[in-house]
Amino acid sequence: MNIQPQMARHGRERDVHHVEMRGVNKRFGEFTAIHDLDLSVGKGEFCALLGPSGCGKSTILRMIAGLEAVNSGSVFISGVNVTRMHPAKRHIAMVFQSYALYPHLTVRQNIAFSLSVAGASREVQAKRADEIAGLLQLGHLMDRKPAQLSGGQRQRVAIGRALVREPEVFLFDEPLSNLDAMLRVQMRIELAKLHKTLGATMIYVTHDQVEAMTLADRIVVLDRGVVAQVGAPLELYAKPANKFVASFIGAPTMNFLAITPTAYAGRAVTLAFDSASASASPGLTVQARNVPDASSPPTEIGIRPEHIAITNPSDRRAQISGTVQLVERLGNLTIVYLSTAAGQIVAEGSGELDVKVDENVGLVIDTARTHLFGTDGAAL
Amino acid sequence: MSAEREMRMSTGYFASARAMEGDRRGFVERLLDGRAKYLVGAACIALCTVMLLPLLASVLASLKSTAEAAAVPPTYFPHGLSLDSYHRLWNFQAGLLTYLGNSAGAALLTILFCLGLTIPAGYALGRFPVPGKEFFFLVLLLGLIIPYQALLTPLFFLFVQLKLHNSLVGLAIVHTAIQLPFSIYIMRNAFEAVPRELEEAAVIDGCNSWQVLVRVFLPAIVPAIITVSLFAFITSWNEFLAALVIMNKDTSFTLPLILAAARQQTSIGGTDWGMLQAGITISVIPCIAFYLLLQKYYVAGFLNGAVK
Repeated sequence: MNIQPQMARHGRERDVHHVEMRGVNKRFGEFTAIHDLDLSVGKGEFCALLGPSGCGKSTILRMIAGLEAVNSGSVFISGVNVTRMHPAKRHIAMVFQSYALYPHLTVRQNIAFSLSVAGASREVQAKRADEIAGLLQLGHLMDRKPAQLSGGQRQRVAIGRALVREPEVFLFDEPLSNLDAMLRVQMRIELAKLHKTLGATMIYVTHDQVEAMTLADRIVVLDRGVVAQVGAPLELYAKPANKFVASFIGAPTMNFLAITPTAYAGRAVTLAFDSASASASPGLTVQARNVPDASSPPTEIGIRPEHIAITNPSDRRAQISGTVQLVERLGNLTIVYLSTAAGQIVAEGSGELDVKVDENVGLVIDTARTHLFGTDGAAL
Repeated sequence: MSAEREMRMSTGYFASARAMEGDRRGFVERLLDGRAKYLVGAACIALCTVMLLPLLASVLASLKSTAEAAAVPPTYFPHGLSLDSYHRLWNFQAGLLTYLGNSAGAALLTILFCLGLTIPAGYALGRFPVPGKEFFFLVLLLGLIIPYQALLTPLFFLFVQLKLHNSLVGLAIVHTAIQLPFSIYIMRNAFEAVPRELEEAAVIDGCNSWQVLVRVFLPAIVPAIITVSLFAFITSWNEFLAALVIMNKDTSFTLPLILAAARQQTSIGGTDWGMLQAGITISVIPCIAFYLLLQKYYVAGFLNGAVK
C-alpha cells in the first residue's frame, strides 16, 4: 500500500488547523480529566484556554506539549500525528507558570540551553542568545542568575528560552499569574506585541477572563473537562452558549433570576419572575435567540449588571424596583447591589451614580441584551 | 448579601494577615528574645564545654613530652610544647603516611561508591514511576535496623573468597553498605524536592533522562551530594570494627586500627599516651575541617531533603 501520497494529502488538509486534538480523553485513575475533546487552533492564531481551576485546561496544554500521555484520541501539529512523539520533537515551546528557569545557569545559558543540548557551538549559542536578548530587552542581564532577577525579568527570560527554539507553536501555562497586578498588565501588552511580531501560533492557558479577552483571537471555555464554548472574545460575551460561559465571562458576574414564561410571540417571550408576586412583576418581554420550544421553556434569565440602568422608582421605563444594599464606587464606574422582588441584583453604571444605601430605585433592563436559559443551562 | 459576605471576608483577611505577622517569627527567634536568650546562651556554652573539653585534653596531651604524657597523676597543661609524640607516630610501624593513605583511600572510595549508587537510586525512586518503589525503598531502609557487626563473620569469609580482604575496595564496599540506607533516603528526598517544571522544561528543550539528570538534577542536588559525601567520609574514616576484621596486614591498617594498636604496643611496655593522643588529634582534623568547610551545604541538604 502506498502510504506516502495519502499522508501528504492529510498533511495539506490539516494545514489549516495548526494544532488539532481529536477525540482526546485523559483519565487520572478513576477521574476523567478530559472527556472526548475536539479542538483545533489555526495557524498564527492566539487561542486562550479559559476555565476555573480543575477544568482540565493545563492538562490539555500538557498533552499538546507531550508532557502528559493521552489515554485515547490523537494530537496533530502541522498535520503530523504527534500523539506518541517526544516533546522535544513536536516543534513546540512552553512557558511555565513558575518560569522553570534553570537556577544554576546564567540568563544567557538559560536562553541557549536547548541549543547547547542540541550540540550547537558556543559561538552559535552566544549569537542566538544575544539576538533573543535584544528582542526582549534582556541585554544587560545576560550574566545574571535567575535568583537575581525580578518576576517580570524572569518571565522574559522564560519567553526568551521558548523563542530560541523557533517553535511552530508556543504554549503558555498561566504565565502571568505569578506577577503583581501592574506587571501583569504590562506583560500582557508585551505578549500581545510579541504575537504580532512573530505571527506564531500561541495557545494560552489562563483562569483570568481579562487576559483571555484581551489577548486571544479565540477563546475556548472549559468546564470540567468539556468544551463549554469556543468563540471570539466578544462573541462569548454577547452570546454565551450556556449558563457556565455566561457566568464565567464578565465581571461583576451576570445576574441569574428564576422565571416562568407566560406568553410567546415569535422570538419574543413574556415572563414573570418566580420569586415576585404577580403584582410586583409587571411582566417583562424579552427576545429569545431562537423561536422558543414550548416543551423546553426557559427557566432562568441572565442579565449583565452593565445592562441594568438605575433610575427613579417613578420612572415609567423601570420594569422592576429595588432597594440599594451596598454601593461600590470605583471612580470610572459604580457597582450597586440591590434587593428586589425578583431576587438579589447587581447593577453597574459608568461614572459616579447618585444612589444611597437603603434608597428605593427603579431598574431599567435592556431587554434586547438579556439571555434566556433552559433547565439544562443551555442558552435559548 | 454577597457584598456583605465579601466585606466580612475582607476584614477577616486583614485580621488573619495581622495575626500571621505576629506569629511569623519562629520558635527560635521568640526563644532568643529577652531574658531567655541568656539562659539559652548559657546552656549552649555548657554543652559546648562538655563536647570540646575531651578534644582539648587530647590536643594538649599530644603536645606534652614523652615523660610528661606518661606521668601519674597526669598534668592538665603541658609544661613545655614538644612534637615528640607526633614524631613517634610518624615512624610507627609502617609509618603514619601509609595509614593516612589507607584511611583516605577507603573514605574516598566509600564516597564514590555511595554517590555512584545513591544518585541513580534517588533519581529512580524520586522521579520515575517504578512499580512497587515504596516497597523497595522500605526494604532499603530496613538495612538501618540490622547491625552490620552481626554480619561481619560471614562477610569476612565471603571477602576472603572474593579476595577482597586486605583491600581498600573491600573495606570501602562494607563502609558503603553501612552508609547506603541513610544516603538513599537523603538522595530520594533531594530528587523529589526539585520542581517538576524544571524537569519538564529540560525535556521540552530536548534533554533525554540522562541529560536531565546531568544538566538539571545534579546541579540542583549539590547540597544532598555534599551531605551524603560528608557522612560517607566520616563513617569510613572513623569505622573500626569492619576494618579490624577485614584488614589484617599491618600495611593495610587504617587510622582507627593503628590507634588501637598504639594503645597496646609500645617500646617501653605500657601505653604510649602521647602518641595515642597525637593520633587522635590527627584523625579528628579532617572531620572537623570538612564539616566546617561544607557546613552551609550540609545544613541545606538536610533542610531541602530530609526535613520537608
